[in-house]
Amino acid sequence: MKRNDLLTPEGTRDLLFEECAAKRTILERITKLFESYGYSEVITPGLEFYDVFNGKVRYFPQETMYKLVDGKNRLMVLRPDSTMPIARLAATRLREEELPLKLFYNQNIFMVNPKDSGRDDEISQSGIEILGGNSTAADYEALVLAAKSLSACDENFRLEIGDSSIFRELILQFDCDEEESENIRHAIEIKDYPSLDKADIPEALKTLPRLFGGIEVFEQAEKHLHGKALEARLSRLKKLCEDLSAVIPSEKIRVDLGLVHKKDYYTGIIFRGYVEGYGLPALSGGRYDTLLGDFGREAAAVGFAVNVEAASKVFLKKIKANGEAIVKAPDVLVFGEKGSEIVALKHCGELISQGFSAYNFLGENIEAARKYASSHGIRRVDIVSGAAVATEEV
Amino acid sequence: MENRKVRLALTKGRIESKAVDLLEKIGYDVSELRNKGRRLILSVPGEDIEVVLAKPTDVITYVEHGVCDLGVVGKDTIMEHGGKFFEISDLGFGKCRFALAVKKGTEFYKGYGVKTVATKYPEVTRKFFEAKGIDVDIVKIEGSVELAPLVGLSDGIVDIVETGTTLKENGLEVYDHVADISARLIVNTVSMKLKQERISEIVRLIEENCDDKNN
Repeated sequence: MKRNDLLTPEGTRDLLFEECAAKRTILERITKLFESYGYSEVITPGLEFYDVFNGKVRYFPQETMYKLVDGKNRLMVLRPDSTMPIARLAATRLREEELPLKLFYNQNIFMVNPKDSGRDDEISQSGIEILGGNSTAADYEALVLAAKSLSACDENFRLEIGDSSIFRELILQFDCDEEESENIRHAIEIKDYPSLDKADIPEALKTLPRLFGGIEVFEQAEKHLHGKALEARLSRLKKLCEDLSAVIPSEKIRVDLGLVHKKDYYTGIIFRGYVEGYGLPALSGGRYDTLLGDFGREAAAVGFAVNVEAASKVFLKKIKANGEAIVKAPDVLVFGEKGSEIVALKHCGELISQGFSAYNFLGENIEAARKYASSHGIRRVDIVSGAAVATEEV
Repeated sequence: MENRKVRLALTKGRIESKAVDLLEKIGYDVSELRNKGRRLILSVPGEDIEVVLAKPTDVITYVEHGVCDLGVVGKDTIMEHGGKFFEISDLGFGKCRFALAVKKGTEFYKGYGVKTVATKYPEVTRKFFEAKGIDVDIVKIEGSVELAPLVGLSDGIVDIVETGTTLKENGLEVYDHVADISARLIVNTVSMKLKQERISEIVRLIEENCDDKNN
């Protein structure tokens, strides 16, 4: 019995017409941006060996990956991320290429979301990876391109910057076991102030998740976070944020010192992009200086990915709110009478070469052609009969 | 882009009435909230705030997806349901606790047989026993969980205990404490950043007027 032949799997969907047009617009804008800054495109396979994502540190819990087996019974996954395959690529086929390398990609990632959560299991991403190079300069470049990518879908974005090493430094100072450190990290991630306030931990760890907002956050941070290494990190991050305001309007730059992701590969700055009308970050990225080493090629790196699905959804909503159309109706409908089908097609070609778009109508009669034109917003109908062309306005 | 009001989701029922009292104390006009009829979205006259009434897990879902910015929901639902949002304040009301209860006089942790636990909260139960390193079989029950050990389906139950009267009347007793529960204020992660000033202001007012907090 077939039960699922008419459905798409949970977390996936068919994109139609204007959704496709919105997505393509976003993809084109972002691709053009990356290309104009001299980035080179790569495409990695949708299927990867499980081992790629199952290294020394497991960044992706196995229950969140779609798995299957190949012809030799080896475990495969649908790529849950593009950064790790690109790290693999950098250590293998690009081994001889000189660093720094600036790469970009447009491809989908897959993840298993909790049942009925309404989240996408297949997400289209566009992103860059800067492998090697001067870290400070690379951080600036990644952040500026992140801001430009976000503005491709919504001028009213926010780019939020943090540094994963701040939490690591604080935990080092505190000296606790791994379980306790994970509990604290989690509480900071979800800004669980009640349990942090109750816990017997240093004041600095309780304050960390509260340190978010504009650049003024650093003033507060200096009062609460001490220690040589920590102060050095803070002043570096502060300088980065201040310098960025030369290129990105400063009200769009936000800081969250409590950005701490779960078991991620980020070692330095981390950042997220927010756009109005989407409940999750539309962009995320950061610096990962040890990941390439895991694949056998020691190199520092920084990168980000834009959630193209999110960006196009917001973009489409905005276009509709402004009463604009993203999919344009063809300029002319062409109908060839019986025996003139090929002439009609030739006429279409002529119209197109003059710069019009032409829709070759395949229905039975002139009435049907006129009806189709008026219901699809086509203003002009050309009726072809032998060598004669009669033009009507609808 | 859409400039909608700040939306606050309240868990229908007891949490709702406590939360409405709290909003009134802040000085908001809660007349619509008191005379809501069957409406599910209510406005607070004179404020850029809209209140949505929903079931506990739905409060989390709405906040998680960002269609509501703030939510008031019990810690029990948060523990069972999980999700991505900021959990920034303990409002102190709706206090009770999760406990492991057994038939009076039973030693649940003794012996090496795998025990069976009945509960409405399988996630909470699983995490509790996982942290203790104890293997248990979990049976999900929808109604009165107290029945399960009485008819021999389970060795114990994990449930919300307020006064303990129901347990007592059914010959059960609390065997171990699982977690304290109270109403929490949750915030969507993007709203917190995009509407930081307005949300911080509302959170500050809520916390200042919350007498149950921290006692």
